[in-house]
Amino acid sequence: MNFPGTTTILKGFENPMKHAKRILTGSVALVLAAAIWLPCLHLFFSRPASAFYAKEGLSPKARELGARQMQIWTDPQLREKELDRMRASNAEWDFMARSYLVWALANMGLRDPSSKPVCLQTMDRIIDETLHLEHEKGMYFFLMPYAKARPYLVQPARSLFLDGEIALMLASRRVLEDKPEYKAALTERVNLMVNGLRHNPHMALESYPDECWTFDHVVALTAIRMSDYLDGSDHTILIRDWVAMARKKLVHPESGLLVSSYETDGTPMIGPEGSSLWMVAYCLQLVDEDFARDQYERARHELGGSALGFSYAREWPDSWKGPADIDSGPIIPVLDISTGSSGMAFIGATAFGDDAFLASLNAMLDFAGFPSRKNGALKYCASNQVGDAVLFYAATLGPVWQKVKEGRKL
Amino acid sequence: MKMNVWQQLVRCWRADAFSPRGFLLRALVIAGAFLAVHLAGLRDYTSVLNGTIGPAADWRTSSFLGIAYLVIYLAFVIVAPVLVLAAGILTVWQRWQNRKL
Repeated sequence: MNFPGTTTILKGFENPMKHAKRILTGSVALVLAAAIWLPCLHLFFSRPASAFYAKEGLSPKARELGARQMQIWTDPQLREKELDRMRASNAEWDFMARSYLVWALANMGLRDPSSKPVCLQTMDRIIDETLHLEHEKGMYFFLMPYAKARPYLVQPARSLFLDGEIALMLASRRVLEDKPEYKAALTERVNLMVNGLRHNPHMALESYPDECWTFDHVVALTAIRMSDYLDGSDHTILIRDWVAMARKKLVHPESGLLVSSYETDGTPMIGPEGSSLWMVAYCLQLVDEDFARDQYERARHELGGSALGFSYAREWPDSWKGPADIDSGPIIPVLDISTGSSGMAFIGATAFGDDAFLASLNAMLDFAGFPSRKNGALKYCASNQVGDAVLFYAATLGPVWQKVKEGRKL
Repeated sequence: MKMNVWQQLVRCWRADAFSPRGFLLRALVIAGAFLAVHLAGLRDYTSVLNGTIGPAADWRTSSFLGIAYLVIYLAFVIVAPVLVLAAGILTVWQRWQNRKL
């Protein structure tokens, strides 16, 4: 017997079932598709480590990054635009972009002798302009505003951040090809740093008022070591004492990693940070190879991460957490990916020959760094000039350190 | 009744989202959106990811455009291929089911 409306009710009952079945099969198809696609995604971005870093000569990426960095220093409008954008966030970046580029060009000139003249020309231009700006506008021009918040403890005020990096710029230039005009400038900076280190019982020099950075100290020690190579001085004991002090006082007990910053009395301020550590480990190679290797391996274990064939670096180890800041860059939740630490990790991976880590970092860079190529020049849109300069340095580093280690003079 | 392209697209969009056609259409829309933001030069605004302002003068616009590009890019490289693969899997499944019946 048919009651009115029965068919309609049955149809209405049938349709939701069919609909639910379609949603279910569709969802299963989506899950299956995701399970196929996600593990394959990295294959579209993976290249061998040699695409980023060549043991000899220049890798394709080093050439492209170098072309872009040179472009910035030959096109005044482009340079002004890039510097303005960086300085709007952080004046330090303007300075560090110069430092990393000069250090990279020294390596590039040694790797590719045909590029040496243009490397020297660009290095001199950057060094001269930087020294001029420091002289004209004072050290605060390259520092963050809080440098003026209180006076430096040691007077007259100096920032090891500037002294160390400028000294390393001068030394790198002279390793590529000596320039008598820079000898006095390097000696002056080195003497200032050496005297400062000797006068503080904790061998600590300020970069900001009562704020000392491990990063700046190892850069300074590297410059001092290079000055010994260039000018025949000997600061072996000073360097050895600093490393002994660092092992004793600056190591974070839980992770065994060096802290990032501390007060002039040696009291730690900020614990281990990836945005500093990878470079610290690399610079230590020129100062104490065993300690350098130890720091790299710890950093790799504590900070290196990998997911779906892409590698990245965290800013902090599990045993220490700090606030996201201008150095760490934004922290991507869940995996705790730090853009700052991931960029600096390239330096560690290339310096310590960690090809597997380097190749997958490079895959991540090409996946999430938004590369943009134009006329043989490469920039990463998600980066900025200092970020790209760091990558360029990572892609070229090696020959300058090697030369100093071997003690070969020009 | 003849339908123009727009009407056909609307019809497809209104069709079951969990069908091969629905998946493909959504993948196409994502690809179109990515093409549009890419050609519009929004890639440069992703510099906001490292705290550097984009080509636009103000932070708010730069952040909006940078994040928009990032979201659409991720949809293009992750979601769109999954949708295309899912459409393929579903088509094979449906054909197999029909053959059984």
